[in-house]
Amino acid sequence: MIKALDLRTPWPWLSLAALVVLITFILYPLVNILTASFGVGDVENGWSRLLTDPRGLSAIVNTLILAAIVTCTCVLIGVPLAYVTARYRFFGKSIIALLPLITLVIPEVISAQTWLMALGNNGLITRFFRDFGIHLPSFYGWFGLITVMTFVYYTYVYIGTVASISGFDVHLEEAAQSLGTSPARSRIKVMLPVILPSILASALLVFTMVVGNFAISMILSNQLPLLSVVTYQAAVSEGGAAPVMQSTFATVSVVMVMLILFFNRWIVSRGRFEIAQGRGARPQPITGWKGAAIGLAASFIVVVSLVPLAVIAVGAFTVSRGPVMQWGNWTLANMERVFVTAPQPLVNSLIYAGAATLIGVAFSAVVSYLIIKKRNAVTPWLDYISSVPLALSGTVLGIGLVVSFNAGWLPLTGTATIMVLALLVRRLPFGMRSAQATLYNIPNSIEEASISLGSPPLRTFFKVVLPMMGPAIASAAILTWTTSVSELSASILVYSGGRETLTIQVFRLIGSNLMAYASAYGLVLIAVILIPIVVATKVFKVDVFASK
Amino acid sequence: MGIDIKNLSVNYGGMDVISDLSLTIPEGCFFTLLGPSGCGKTTLLRTIAGFVQASKGNLYFQSNDVTRLPPHRRNIGMVFQDYALFPDKTVAENVAYGLRARGESGDAMMKKVRHELEHVGLGHVMDRHPAALSGGQRQRVALARAMVIKPQVLLMDEPLSNLDAKLRIQIRETIADLQREANITTVFVTHDQEEALSMSDQIGVMNKGKVEQLGTPKEIYSTPRTAYVADFVGAANRIDVSISDANADGTAHIQLGGASILARNTLPAATRDGILIMRPEDLRLSANASAEAQALPGTVVKRQYLGGKTSYKLALADDTVISVESHGDNHDGFDIGTKVMATIDPSKAVVIAS
Repeated sequence: MIKALDLRTPWPWLSLAALVVLITFILYPLVNILTASFGVGDVENGWSRLLTDPRGLSAIVNTLILAAIVTCTCVLIGVPLAYVTARYRFFGKSIIALLPLITLVIPEVISAQTWLMALGNNGLITRFFRDFGIHLPSFYGWFGLITVMTFVYYTYVYIGTVASISGFDVHLEEAAQSLGTSPARSRIKVMLPVILPSILASALLVFTMVVGNFAISMILSNQLPLLSVVTYQAAVSEGGAAPVMQSTFATVSVVMVMLILFFNRWIVSRGRFEIAQGRGARPQPITGWKGAAIGLAASFIVVVSLVPLAVIAVGAFTVSRGPVMQWGNWTLANMERVFVTAPQPLVNSLIYAGAATLIGVAFSAVVSYLIIKKRNAVTPWLDYISSVPLALSGTVLGIGLVVSFNAGWLPLTGTATIMVLALLVRRLPFGMRSAQATLYNIPNSIEEASISLGSPPLRTFFKVVLPMMGPAIASAAILTWTTSVSELSASILVYSGGRETLTIQVFRLIGSNLMAYASAYGLVLIAVILIPIVVATKVFKVDVFASK
Repeated sequence: MGIDIKNLSVNYGGMDVISDLSLTIPEGCFFTLLGPSGCGKTTLLRTIAGFVQASKGNLYFQSNDVTRLPPHRRNIGMVFQDYALFPDKTVAENVAYGLRARGESGDAMMKKVRHELEHVGLGHVMDRHPAALSGGQRQRVALARAMVIKPQVLLMDEPLSNLDAKLRIQIRETIADLQREANITTVFVTHDQEEALSMSDQIGVMNKGKVEQLGTPKEIYSTPRTAYVADFVGAANRIDVSISDANADGTAHIQLGGASILARNTLPAATRDGILIMRPEDLRLSANASAEAQALPGTVVKRQYLGGKTSYKLALADDTVISVESHGDNHDGFDIGTKVMATIDPSKAVVIAS
């Protein structure tokens, strides 16, 4: 129920303030992109230029083809892996169930780098086979893009499908069997239709992530034009003054993702089945050659998606001369560079991600509280606008910020503020989702109990609601921290000299082919991401992935 | 402190959930709002608490107009269906919460907390968290938390509906005892007629945002004024009838199933069509075949043995089916197909407007 604004309480004023902030830093940049695509000053309309630009057009087509292929391969790997882990117990299962979560927190730029170090022109595996006279195909282009993106993104399909299979009421399957269909047939007839919407939803998520992917596309596409690559190149060559082509490409990407999200929403709304008192099946032990085969196949997938990480650990301590890695010779020089000679990226990462996490979590807690517990005419808009960044790739967000705050009434270019802002806006939905999920689970009666006992509304929020949100705020903080530290695509567009973060540094070093240094910064980057997660889960018992 | 409700309306999205309701609850009264879900009873309770704003009308505690007073300043004690205990605070801290909000602290406060908890039999769980308590214990804590602040008015929103049958009766007694001791004006919301009948001084049966009948438990049960009340409070045979002649003493003769019985008549003068209400337990079964006064001849078509009583369905001569509950020795002694007589006292059969 939406009530009129009751201006005697603090809530409508807070809602309005939050609305102004969200409009300024999310909607205003988006509108600027849309208008700039139609031309700035005497620069021609971007849309007519796009129609005569073969590279731009083929970038759009290539991106769609790549997204379609990667979506298919991710489903082919993620769904069977989810099925066997949700339904069976076999050797090595506990590790297999856990490792995909680790790949989730590894920055894409690191994934691309490690694969390159293994399978690139000068990679470990490539050279190993070359010694036997076997020449692997070039890893740049379609081969590398599909391989790396598949092993990075299948985890999303895996996680979505595991949740759905675990929640599937096993009695339905038993009912089907009692009515005379075979176990396999029951599964296809009864289980598949129920879990299909979540498989499709996660597949579409993969599709949008491929469309928006920056790091892997930049590092591995080489000569192949892709949407995010041409967008970035246009942004770099145009700058912030007359941002026509970058805005046009960004708009194309926004429209693409929007269409997919609407399609997704349509599927979800059609396919929502109520499963009353769903009791998932207990995983059955599976042994013998079948168990061994499943265990082996599952381990293969997980190992393949993680082995490249070992490469980076080795590379960080390997002697190099320029681009040439001298495998087998060890050194601490690379690490010395990260911590002593050039520690600025590490310091920057810690400061920017720390600020973004603090502000983001505080903002999400308050705004989520308004959206869920203090509804008024404004709060639905807070909800819509704060989820807009989900539909925007980092590249689009970065362009929006540069275009809007390059000069004019709020010049932020070159400041640390715009770096924090980029991380903050991009990761805001994580904090919001986490805070909202908990608030839904806090019954209104708890707050009313406090008020009925004589505690005014604001005091009730601090004394009762906030302590109950504690665990969720902690997990939101960790999620915001890890994703902010690994952010690349938005920050690389807004950074200026001296404000490099770890991810930007790794990206630039890969571009210069300095893999040993890149490995050292990358290893530190992974440590910065993983240490808080490990401390939180082991020491403070925070369920980091509860809201994922 | 009495509660006075004057011409109160509550409007949700253009629809009146409570419409033009007036009600006076005297000081110290245990008042129950009884009705099915959606009848507006919870909304009325929440309006008294201040969580819902009245769109029209006024609300008085004693003679103070509290219509616009925010809930935290109304000095109410509220008990919720889901207990609403603060999960991160101990039992003692839950009970102390309202006292702290009133600026109390220290040993004096903790003494009150301990006293109140001992009063509900929970002195030994003060340092536990709500999650470690059973449902009944949680509701007792919620009760202690509401009572310790010495509220002017105690409001309870279906406080027993999450408990199992045995506990419900126990806590029912705890609530009634506490209320009587403190002599605190209490508004109790429930959809359970047994709860309402056993605990209340006064019952308001609600329907579609209005109080349909107001009275003591006995009045509500024995003299339902409408078919809705008769149906909701206890089981009732409702039979459409037409009275043959209304007597001056408020009784009337009714033709039913080939027999004629005398019943109380509440129809306005010159009205003939009404509904005859007879409680199943007020009908007496006998195997007598000969006609007698106040007796309806019928055939047993269904029998359900319930331990202390047996529930029968009788088909009358005109195929009207009525329910009869038989108590006493040999209460299950009528087989299906047996011809029986069901007699009723004229004071127990009542004709009301349809």
